[in-house]
Amino acid sequence: MADLRTEEFVVNMGPQHPSTHGVCRLVLTMDGEKVVKIEPVIGYLHRAIEKVCENRTYMQCIPILDRFEYVTSMSCNYVFSLATERIAEMEVPERAEYLRVIMLELNRIASHLLFYGVTAMDIGALTPFLYGLRERELIIDLFEMTCGQRLTYNYIRIGGVSRDIPKEFEPKCREAIKIISEKMADYEGLLNENPIWLKRTKGVAVLPKELAIAYGVSGPVLRASGVQYDLRKNDPYCIYDRFDFDIPVGQNGDCFDRYMLRLNEIRESIKIITQALDGLPEGDIKNKKSRMTYKAPAGETYTRIENSRGEMGIYLISDGGKKPLRVKAKGASFNHIQVLPHFGTNMFIADLVANFATLDVIMPEVDR
Amino acid sequence: MTRQELASYIVEKYGDLMKPLESGKYDPLFVVEVDKLVDIAQKLKDDENLKFDYFCNLCGVDTNENFEAVYNVASITKNLRLDFKVILPYDKAEVESLQSVWPAIGWYEREMWELYGINVKNHGNLTRFLLPDDWDQGFPMRKNWDAPDFKRMPEK
Amino acid sequence: MGLIKKVPVYTEKIPGGAFVLTSLETVLNQGRAKSLWYLLFGTACCAIELMCTGASRYDFDRLGMIFRATPRQSDLILVAGTITKKMAPRLRRLYDQMSEPRYVIAMGGCTINGGPFYYDSYAVEKGIDHIIPVDIYIPGCPPRPESLMEGCIHLQEKIKKQKLLDWQEK
Ligand code: SF4
Repeated sequence: MADLRTEEFVVNMGPQHPSTHGVCRLVLTMDGEKVVKIEPVIGYLHRAIEKVCENRTYMQCIPILDRFEYVTSMSCNYVFSLATERIAEMEVPERAEYLRVIMLELNRIASHLLFYGVTAMDIGALTPFLYGLRERELIIDLFEMTCGQRLTYNYIRIGGVSRDIPKEFEPKCREAIKIISEKMADYEGLLNENPIWLKRTKGVAVLPKELAIAYGVSGPVLRASGVQYDLRKNDPYCIYDRFDFDIPVGQNGDCFDRYMLRLNEIRESIKIITQALDGLPEGDIKNKKSRMTYKAPAGETYTRIENSRGEMGIYLISDGGKKPLRVKAKGASFNHIQVLPHFGTNMFIADLVANFATLDVIMPEVDR
Repeated sequence: MTRQELASYIVEKYGDLMKPLESGKYDPLFVVEVDKLVDIAQKLKDDENLKFDYFCNLCGVDTNENFEAVYNVASITKNLRLDFKVILPYDKAEVESLQSVWPAIGWYEREMWELYGINVKNHGNLTRFLLPDDWDQGFPMRKNWDAPDFKRMPEK
Repeated sequence: MGLIKKVPVYTEKIPGGAFVLTSLETVLNQGRAKSLWYLLFGTACCAIELMCTGASRYDFDRLGMIFRATPRQSDLILVAGTITKKMAPRLRRLYDQMSEPRYVIAMGGCTINGGPFYYDSYAVEKGIDHIIPVDIYIPGCPPRPESLMEGCIHLQEKIKKQKLLDWQEK
C-alpha cells in the first residue's frame, strides 16, 4: 500500500449546492477523499448594493441595505442609521434605543436558530431544522406585529424607529423568549450527546487564534477560537453598556465550539431582552429631525456593530447632499470565506461541509 | 486610550507622516502619503502602545475630484480604532499592497481594483471575482460610469 | 384530493372495484400535479422564506412538494432570489438539465423584473423570463409563505388542465 500512487483531481462544489448556503462556488482539488486545495469563487450574488445606495436618498438606502444581510436585517438598518446619526451627531430618544436593542437581540436569536437548523441539516440531521425554525417563527411573528414584514423589516430608521410597538408586543415577547429558553434543553439534547454529531464536529477544522486575527475573522467564529472580542462590550454602541450579560468564549476553535457558542449566545440575548423589556421607558420613538427627506451634513465615519455573524460595518461618506457619496458595506462573511483556504484543507470533503456550515457564511454579505 | 488620546498620541508621534482630517466624525481619521503607506502601516502594527493587529475594512472612494482609499483598522489587544486614507489623483491611481502587514486585506484590494480600477502593486492575485467573467463595461463604481440600463436619480 | 374523492363513484359501478376507467391524461396530470418535486434554487433573501415554508409551521410537504438537490430528479424549478448576470448562465444550464415536463416558478420581485434593483444595479438580470420560460410569477419582496403556497396551487391547477398533446409539442 505504501507505494500506491494517487492522482489529484478537481471537484466543483457550487454555485448551486444545498450546503453552500446560497451561491458560493468552491473549486476543490482533491486527493481521494481529502481536500488539498480550496479556491473560493464568489460574485454570483453581486447585486451592486453599494452603487444602488449612492443613487438613493438616505432613507431610501435603508430598505436596500435590508437586502445586504437579510437574515439579520435589523442590524443592517441599525448600522446605517447609526452611521448617519454619528455624522449628524443626532440624539435618539430613550425609548427608541430600548426598542432597538430588543429588536437587534431578537434578530440575533432568530439568526442563531436558523443557523442551528441549517447546520444540522447540512451535517445530516433533519429534526433540528424543524425544531429551530419552529421557534424562529415566534420571533418572526413579533416582527410582523411591529413592522408588518417577515424578513426585510425596514424598521430602524435614522433618528429612531419607524413605529411604536403594539400593546400585545410585550406579553407576546416575554412568552416567546420563555418558550425559547425552555426549548434550549431540547436543542442541546438533540445534538450534544449524539455520537455522530460529536464525531462530525469535535476537533474538526480547528481555526487557530493567530490565523483568525490575521484574517480579520470576527464574531462567534473568532470567539470560538478563544479571543474575547465582542463589539457590544469592546466598542459599545447603542445602550449595551447598561445591560448585564456575558460573552461566551470557546477554547478549541473547532466546529463544535462554534456551534455551542452560538447556542450560548442565545441565552445571553434572552438576558438582554428581559432587562430591556423591564426597563422600557415611555416617550418618543423618533427624533424630530428624522424625515423621509433627511440629509446628513458633510462628514465620514466607519461604524461597526456586532451582528450575529460578526463585525458588520458601514463606511459612510456624506458630502452634505441629498444622496450619500459612498456607502461601503462590510460583512463578516467576506473574511470568513477568505480565510477558508488557509485552514480548511487536509480534511475530508464531508468535514469541509461541516466547517463551512459552522462558519455560518451568508453570501449577500460577501458579494453585496 | 480614549479617542482624543489616540488622536493626540498619533499627532505627537507620527505627526510628520499622518495629518489629521476634520471630516472624520466619531473615530480619528488621518491622511497619509501614498509612498509612505506600507511604512506607516507597519509602524502602526508594531507600535507598543497601539498594536493595530486587526484589519476591518478597506474602502475605495471616488469623490468626483480624485480617488481615495480608506483603511479602517482596529486593535484587539489595546481596544482601539483608527482610520487613515490616501488620496490618489485620477491619472495616478496606484497603491502598494498591504498584505504583508494585514493578510486580510487581500480580497479587499482585489475588490477595489475590480470596481474602481485602482491598481494595487505587489498584490500577486489581482483577478476578477465579483463581476461576471465576460464583463467589458469598465469600472462600475466610478462616478462617471454609465450604461444604457442605468438610471440616475434626478438631483432635485 | 380530487381524484381520491371521485374514485368511489366509479368503483361502485364496477363489481369488485378493481378497475377504474379514466383518460390517460387525467392519470398523468394528477400524478404530476400532486408530486411536484422542486429544485432547491435559493440564491438570496427569498430563499429564507422558501426555507420557512418548508419547515414546521407551513409544511410544504403537504402539497406533495419535496426539495431535491439535483435538477435531474426535479419537475419544478423554484427560482427564489436575485439572479445576477453572472448567475444567469448557470440557471439556464440547470433548467436544461431537467427532464420534461418541467415547470418554473419565479418567486419574488427580483425574478420578475429585478425588484428593488431594477433601475440602478449594473449586475442584476432584469427578470428571469429573459433566460427561461416562467409558468407562475409570485410577487412580493419577499412573498409570504402563504402566497408561495398559493402560487404552487395555481401551478397544480395549470398542470391539471394540460392536454397530452401540449407537452409533447413543447
Ligand atoms: S424579491 Fe426582495 S426578498 Fe426576494 S430576493 Fe429579491 S430583494 Fe430579496
